[in-house]
Amino acid sequence: MGIEFGMEQVWVLPAIPAALFIVLALLNPLLPRRGDFLAALGMATVVGLVFLVLVDYTSVFNGGHFEPDGTNVFSFDWVNIGQGFFIIEFSTFVDGITMVMLPVVTIVATMVIVYSVGYMHGEQRYGWYFAVLCLFVSAMLTLVVSGNLIQLYLAWEGVGLASYLLIGFYWERQSAAEAAKKAFITTRIGDVGLLIGIILLWRATGTFDIQEIIAIAKAGQIDETYLTVSMIFLFMGAAGKSAQFPLHVWLPDAMEGPTPVSALIHAATMVVAGVYLVARFSPVYAEVLIARDVILYVGLITAVMAASMGLVTSDIKRVLAYSTVSQLGFMFVALGSGAVGAAMFHLLTHAFFKALLFLGSGSVIHATHRQEVESLGGLRRKMPFTAAVFSVGSLALAGIPIFAGFWSKDEILHATLKDAPVAVYVTLAGTAMLTAVYTTRLVLLTFFGAPRDQHAFDHAHESPIIMNAPLALLAVLATVSGFLAFDQVGQALGLPGGIGANVFLEHAHHFTEPDYAFAGTATLMSLVGIGIGWAYWHGDSRRAVAARQWAPDLHALLVNRYYMDGLYQGIINRVILGAGSLIAWFDKKVVNETGVDGGAQAVSYLGYRLKFLQTGRIPNYAFGMALGVLALALVAIGNS
Amino acid sequence: MLTLFLLLPVAGALIAIALPAAREGEAKVIALAFTGLNFALAVVMYVVFDRGVEGYQFVERFEWIHGAGFTVQYVVGVDGLSAPLIVLLGLLSMVSVLVSWKIDVKPKHYFAWLLILESAVAGVFLSLDLIQFFLFWELELLPMFFLISQWGSGRRVYSAMKFLIYTLAGSALMLVGFLVIGFGAKTFDIEALTKTPPQETIVPLAIVFWAIMLAFLVKLPVFPLHTWLPDAHTDAPTAVSVMLAGVLLKMGGYGILRIVLPLMPNEAHDFSKVLATIAGFSVVWGAVITLRQTDLKRLVAYSSVSHMGYVLLGVSALGPVGLSGAALQMFTHGCITGLLFVMVGMIYDRTHTREIAKLRGLMHHMPLIGTVFIVAGLASLGLPAMSGFVAELTVFLGSIEAHPAATMAAVFGVVLSAGYILWTVERILHGPKTHDFHDLTDAKQWWEITAMAVLVVAIIGTGIWPAVLTDTVRLGIEPIAKIVEAAS
Repeated sequence: MGIEFGMEQVWVLPAIPAALFIVLALLNPLLPRRGDFLAALGMATVVGLVFLVLVDYTSVFNGGHFEPDGTNVFSFDWVNIGQGFFIIEFSTFVDGITMVMLPVVTIVATMVIVYSVGYMHGEQRYGWYFAVLCLFVSAMLTLVVSGNLIQLYLAWEGVGLASYLLIGFYWERQSAAEAAKKAFITTRIGDVGLLIGIILLWRATGTFDIQEIIAIAKAGQIDETYLTVSMIFLFMGAAGKSAQFPLHVWLPDAMEGPTPVSALIHAATMVVAGVYLVARFSPVYAEVLIARDVILYVGLITAVMAASMGLVTSDIKRVLAYSTVSQLGFMFVALGSGAVGAAMFHLLTHAFFKALLFLGSGSVIHATHRQEVESLGGLRRKMPFTAAVFSVGSLALAGIPIFAGFWSKDEILHATLKDAPVAVYVTLAGTAMLTAVYTTRLVLLTFFGAPRDQHAFDHAHESPIIMNAPLALLAVLATVSGFLAFDQVGQALGLPGGIGANVFLEHAHHFTEPDYAFAGTATLMSLVGIGIGWAYWHGDSRRAVAARQWAPDLHALLVNRYYMDGLYQGIINRVILGAGSLIAWFDKKVVNETGVDGGAQAVSYLGYRLKFLQTGRIPNYAFGMALGVLALALVAIGNS
Repeated sequence: MLTLFLLLPVAGALIAIALPAAREGEAKVIALAFTGLNFALAVVMYVVFDRGVEGYQFVERFEWIHGAGFTVQYVVGVDGLSAPLIVLLGLLSMVSVLVSWKIDVKPKHYFAWLLILESAVAGVFLSLDLIQFFLFWELELLPMFFLISQWGSGRRVYSAMKFLIYTLAGSALMLVGFLVIGFGAKTFDIEALTKTPPQETIVPLAIVFWAIMLAFLVKLPVFPLHTWLPDAHTDAPTAVSVMLAGVLLKMGGYGILRIVLPLMPNEAHDFSKVLATIAGFSVVWGAVITLRQTDLKRLVAYSSVSHMGYVLLGVSALGPVGLSGAALQMFTHGCITGLLFVMVGMIYDRTHTREIAKLRGLMHHMPLIGTVFIVAGLASLGLPAMSGFVAELTVFLGSIEAHPAATMAAVFGVVLSAGYILWTVERILHGPKTHDFHDLTDAKQWWEITAMAVLVVAIIGTGIWPAVLTDTVRLGIEPIAKIVEAAS
């Protein structure tokens, strides 16, 4: 190879899509096909480069020598306020966690861009769409290679901006404009937490460098309470971005964006930034167990809550959105139990099978122009390929063996059983079963049974090859990526220690020897879940209606999203805007009209009254003079 | 060079006034030529500026008044603190001429006043003598008063008068303070006073501190001295709003950094808690009120109150980082809010309303104006890679140690600013097409495009490469920080 490309050149990865963003944003009307092929080719190039980085990474960490610390490479001063005050030094950092993120981000991004060429065909602002996708990929890659917290925050806000622009892509639709705003502001609340966390950590360590901060924190040089508070603030940022309770409300609404965007940003990559952040700081979280417990229980609540809402939602994309929130909860439970490897593994498999499910739902929407499961049904006869790959994704999500989701979800369950209270394991296992139920419901209502909207059914058709090819590839990945858990697979790929040691940081149970009894239980539960789903929603789904009538309050609770969106809206309208009105009134009436204008009026009134002292009559003035002389005389006598 | 910068706009104003009535439409060309030239001069100065040394550069001085035991001089110079502000002034003056291109009421007087305004503000930023500083500080009121009361809209006379009286009341106290300091030390030279800060004066220094500080706090402005600002903005023509938000408010922050802190560092320490409380309060108070504004211009004006609170917060921290943050925030707020007012002006020119409730789906009809409005809005809410972020971050980092509670309040302001900006974007730009605006055109004229382009470049340029600013600002801040830290 003529040009060396490896970890030191990792900064090139975000630079390519950044350049593409500028070119596409400014010049897309001049380019043939509005430049969509440039975006696709550029992303394919980045995938290639990621593999070169991977090769370099494995050659450095080869020979069974486990070095999780990674390396800090390529740095320059971005801001320098003064020696000894503060310097922001941009740098890139590559370790096992980065090496999970890079292929996930670039592969899914490439699939989504190729798919979008078909899906977005003929859309208004077609070129702008690809430009923002490139902006997103650039920011996302910057995020995962950042060696510095400010740089990370910059990229963090960058992916948020791309998300805002893409959720609001159809801004002429009121609901899309509102969803974009809601997503940005909700995640901003988390971002403020992240910013406060960064500021607090800087105050304690005097640096923004992530590895230096971790080293100082691990050495116990920061007060434990202070560190706990800082790390909880940091997690607040993660919870915002990764849509964890109580900041999860934006993600279902984010489905207003084009479906490929949901696949890339709101399933596979951006929403896992929070998981990445916590994993990145996992050595510190291991020191502050209270903060880790917060993560565990927030993740658990989110997993249960979101799965239950997925059970009653009728919009196909929103079901997948709730599923994403729930699965992210699984990852946080893993992080909260200290199983970083399991979390990252699930992040990887989830990215593939959830992107597959979203793109599959995109094909359904593209073919029928319907999103409500009430108006779908029976589509497997019209779209056999889509039905097949969607089923693969669903089996992976439900946790059926062979498929990728099984291995990683099992890893998480195993970790909770080992390192968390048993109640956590039981709840999470129940949620896994619930996952199988709602997944089955979604597949049945979309692809099986009789068509409920004959018109939509009649016009449905299989998607073009440009959309089906990425689906096929993702279906393969959703099947095989779970095998990465086996050391033999890693060794076959040229990693003597297996993938577990090199990439996932630690040896979890699958990486060495499978626990068949444990896996068998989990599989059985998933099968029971599928059975329940089948029993309720197969055929005329009379039983599902009966179940709804049996517990109408519960159903209403779930359909209304636990009333949280309403509660938040109420807080915004009544409390914040109410306070705003009150303060604005106070500012206008009291500060301005009473204080300022009142002062002016008082002066002018005083002037009006005092002018009558100027009578122009000599006796009056003489009287005043006499009073003055008398007063002065009294003062003089008093002083003498 | 600096005297030339000071006098060029005046020369332009004289030529504009001298135009025969038949050719008074050419006043704008003259104004553009002179502000453009002045901006070029500022950029040359900024490039030539020696970043290897601290202290004032390009100093020019001569003695002006010889009194009994004191001297008043004419002395100008720039350091790392004022150099970026001079560039900002040059830039925004040029932009304000561009956005005034369609002014046809008494154009030669209008542009002459605008040019004199540039000179007056330049005098404030360049003066290194207290009396000279005061003269220019007062001189700036004149063009502002006439520009608002003659070319404004709405309750323009009320607003102009309010602005005038408010500033005069502040500056009267400031003059007393200056005289107390100057007669005590037998000099009005800022550099000399900085080297040997006054120790004993006939009035306690704490009173002098507040007398001077009040004038600057009015100008900044902060709660509860801010109510002149929304009125002045709302009734002023676009160009004047740009100048007011962009550079005039900075005179307050500049005065604190240049005069109050180095001359009275002990008092600054004594009252830093008070200042931080006012600052934190201003940030949140301003932001919450902004949420409720129904008029676009008032909205931007109140957001200024909130954002200038960051300047005071940085100042109140009294450390090098906080002070740098304050200086950065002044520059960045000038560009961002300047651009926001330019955009509001363009929207108003087309729709003839600034009421948010009446505006809707504008993105359909003016995609360029909408896009630039969004860019300005994102910059205003502190999005990284735009200039506001580094400034705000620096302020927070600088103040967290000294004033944790006020800093937390200010950080919370970041959520509120995202709220009012994005809500506004949603309400006026997004949503379905409405029939009311179907005949509106996008920004197509060269002067509009240029005005937007230079500010967008400034905002994104300094956001991506903040070293352009920080390397210079640091030179100006370090000496001040040393004096202030030595006093603690």
